[in-house]
Amino acid sequence: MKIPTTMDDNSVSHHNGGQVGSQIGVSVNNKQNDEPSQNVQYSIPGILHFIQHEWARFELERSQWEVDRAEFEARIAFLQGERKGQENLKNDLVRRIKMLEYALKQERAKFHKLKYGVELQQGDVRPPPEEPAPDAEPAERAHFKQGRQLIKQYLQEIGYTDTILDVRSNRVRALLGLNNEETDNPNYRNYDKQQHDRCDYAMNHMARKYDYGGKEPRKSGVSGGGYNEEGLSVQETAAVFANFEFLANQEMDMDEIDDLDAKQSHHAVGKAGEEVDHEAEEVLNELNLLTESEADSGGQGDEYTVGASGAGVGGVSVSGGEGEEEPLALGELAQLTVSNEPEAYDVAQTNKEAFRKTWNAKYTLRSHFDGVRALAFHPTEAALVTASEDHTLKLWNLQRTVPAKKSAGLDVEPLYTFRAHTAPVLCLAMGAPRSEELYSAGLDGTIRLWNLPPPTADPYDPYDPSVQGAVLRDHTDAVWSLACAHGRLLSASADGTARLWAPRAARPLLATLRPEAAPAAPAPAPAAADFAEAGARAAVVYRDGSLIIYDLETGQVVLRVGCDSAATRVRSHPTLGVAVTAHEDRHIRFWDVASGRLAHAMVAHLDAVTGLALDPNGLFLLSGSHDCSVRLWNLDTKTCVQEITAHRKKFDESIFDVAFHPVRPYIASAGADGLAKVFV
Amino acid sequence: MTDVQILRRNRPGTKAKDFCRWPDEPFEEMDSTLAVPQFIQQTIRRDPANLEAILKMPEAQDEGVWKYEHLRQFCMELNGLAVRLQSECKPETCTQMTATEQWIFLCAAHKTPKECPAIDYTRHTLDGAACLLNSNKYFPSRVSIKESSVAKLGSVCRRVYRIFSHAYFHHRAIFDAFEKETHLCKRFTYFVTKYSIISKEILILPKLDDEAPITPAVGESDA
Ligand SMILES: [Zn+2]
Ligand SMILES: [Zn+2]
Repeated sequence: MKIPTTMDDNSVSHHNGGQVGSQIGVSVNNKQNDEPSQNVQYSIPGILHFIQHEWARFELERSQWEVDRAEFEARIAFLQGERKGQENLKNDLVRRIKMLEYALKQERAKFHKLKYGVELQQGDVRPPPEEPAPDAEPAERAHFKQGRQLIKQYLQEIGYTDTILDVRSNRVRALLGLNNEETDNPNYRNYDKQQHDRCDYAMNHMARKYDYGGKEPRKSGVSGGGYNEEGLSVQETAAVFANFEFLANQEMDMDEIDDLDAKQSHHAVGKAGEEVDHEAEEVLNELNLLTESEADSGGQGDEYTVGASGAGVGGVSVSGGEGEEEPLALGELAQLTVSNEPEAYDVAQTNKEAFRKTWNAKYTLRSHFDGVRALAFHPTEAALVTASEDHTLKLWNLQRTVPAKKSAGLDVEPLYTFRAHTAPVLCLAMGAPRSEELYSAGLDGTIRLWNLPPPTADPYDPYDPSVQGAVLRDHTDAVWSLACAHGRLLSASADGTARLWAPRAARPLLATLRPEAAPAAPAPAPAAADFAEAGARAAVVYRDGSLIIYDLETGQVVLRVGCDSAATRVRSHPTLGVAVTAHEDRHIRFWDVASGRLAHAMVAHLDAVTGLALDPNGLFLLSGSHDCSVRLWNLDTKTCVQEITAHRKKFDESIFDVAFHPVRPYIASAGADGLAKVFV
Repeated sequence: MTDVQILRRNRPGTKAKDFCRWPDEPFEEMDSTLAVPQFIQQTIRRDPANLEAILKMPEAQDEGVWKYEHLRQFCMELNGLAVRLQSECKPETCTQMTATEQWIFLCAAHKTPKECPAIDYTRHTLDGAACLLNSNKYFPSRVSIKESSVAKLGSVCRRVYRIFSHAYFHHRAIFDAFEKETHLCKRFTYFVTKYSIISKEILILPKLDDEAPITPAVGESDA
């Protein structure tokens, strides 16, 4: 499935090299470089831009580093805990070696004595304190005894493992509330300590066993019983801890609870005893399942490894940050992209060595039943909202996560599910400047206002109808795009219009924007819309490939440009007068919205480009495509800095939307596979 | 690009009536990891009333995955019923989750099962099902599913059925309108019966085709 596309890609890229050369809309920068003099022309805007640029970059890097630092600190704590555990283990092993050595020496002495009838003068034959001193006995019996001694020692060794299992099983029992021995409620953070404690406990336990020597009947294997078969290893136990909270929630959910549910059920009492057993059984199954999933999680986690870095999030990816060399997966992209090398001011120079940040997949948001059509980050919090073809929207708080076993990713559960749409939800806009406002629209033609629940909401709170706000019903067909700025909302619909709204006003509809086409021809359908020029204008792209700029004061068309390929997205640059459009012909195009000039065009993907996002500083562009990849572009050089394979296909669709967090170092993608992913 | 190749896509700007209106793709030709949901949705779109066709499992299909994907689809479509119920099923009037007066169902979405009002029960159950069915732990893959995870589908089905039954006994107009459009309850009943996912005694709704009057069932058990 993949191979033909790749080959196709190569040909595309070569073709592109030539094509773009002719298309580079000669910018100011280029002109300056054409001048023979090497003197750099400093201009105030240039300098300002440079300073702004640098500052934004440093800010971004700084916040990035902070995130990294927190991660590394956690990792260090974890490793230190592990090291302690290892040391304890080592000490124990050393002790066992000494015991074996001692046994061997004893054996040799015996042998020597038997053969020569003389005591062997050995170095330091000191029995470990807990060993009973060998007593002189007739040769044959002595031999037999020695053998027994050895066997006993071996058994003790095995016993050691059993002991550990024993301890663990006790632990697990305690965790699951099956006995009351230990009632503490551990969580993941305590893990290090626990492991340590456990080791200590095991050691004590073992020491005791050695003390008992031959007296103690071997029963640890028995008491470990049901658990031994599961072969819980240290990691697995850790996973039990990690999953414990989840377990607690989920296990309450088990079938048997149902019977208890029904209050009036007369069976309930009679069955109670049996139910407990059932529950225990379930718990055991649970553990089994856990062990299994542990085993295969390794391979599974790699599935979506971020192409460019090759280093997992957990995998201490220092090299990614340093950035000595170009990320790996860029091979074909290196050819695909255009480097607009010459630069008027020194930005290019600094850029070359700087900003090698690689984004790594960190959170996978799984809870939608069908493709995720849109996502929008919270204006300030580490939260986002996703909108899906399953008719719902979901709110996610990235800071409330369930640590997902060994894999680098974290599982996040949604905080809230917004239900009101009666058809797939296609687009979203987060309120600006009011952060608690959210807008969604979809195939049912409605635009809905929502009052965002706080990031502390619990998904299982009682239903609060006030989350649902007003509904704007003027569109007569699917609404495909929403943008929000300065308290106003811009929508684009398949009914042929784009509309401007004051969502909270008594008469919310402010303007209806449609191109004054020939009356006979059917109006082309808008695909997307965005505000432009600080909210004074609207940029609307159409299925026929045109881009129309409307004046929002008058509702008149200010500018009309176009190309042959259907447009899918439009985004306005936050500071420059540039509109970026995404197209089905795999291109991303850059338009000067004042002059209408096509400033730049590039083949950006192997398939239709479907998602576009600009970072808040206007330095980077994020694009998504049905080729399953997300690409990050340096806007100065128009080169691809990173490619991430993010989503799988459903029918012929893959990625629907991409986004930058307005203030935090997060990017995200939404896909037809029903997942949303957040990268840090 | 190429005219020969059919691209099954909903492009931005597509009209609602053209959404997903593409030629059917034979199941054998679906090479995606999401082939089963694709196929299920495609069959439903063709005729939501044709339960026989919708629940006819393609040959050599893993039954666990088939059941799992159908349940996902049910839960997804049940959002539609929940949306309708939100307007009428208020905590003041439906203070408890009931169908017939025989049982009060406790909501299992909480740490300790709780007597949630019907609308909360509905939402919590659907949210909980979404979490479980998307859980990386139980359902890490959509192409093969562990037997132990398949066993989890039963409890989801039983709770989901209560949403249907509450709507049926307390919000009949909503139920009927929804059922007329989606045939979802009929499909669900067919599904759980066909694969013996929940026992017959629990299926307390009268056969939906014959408009039999509601007979208050006596002595039913919630096994
Ligand atoms: Zn109700
Ligand atoms: Zn509840």
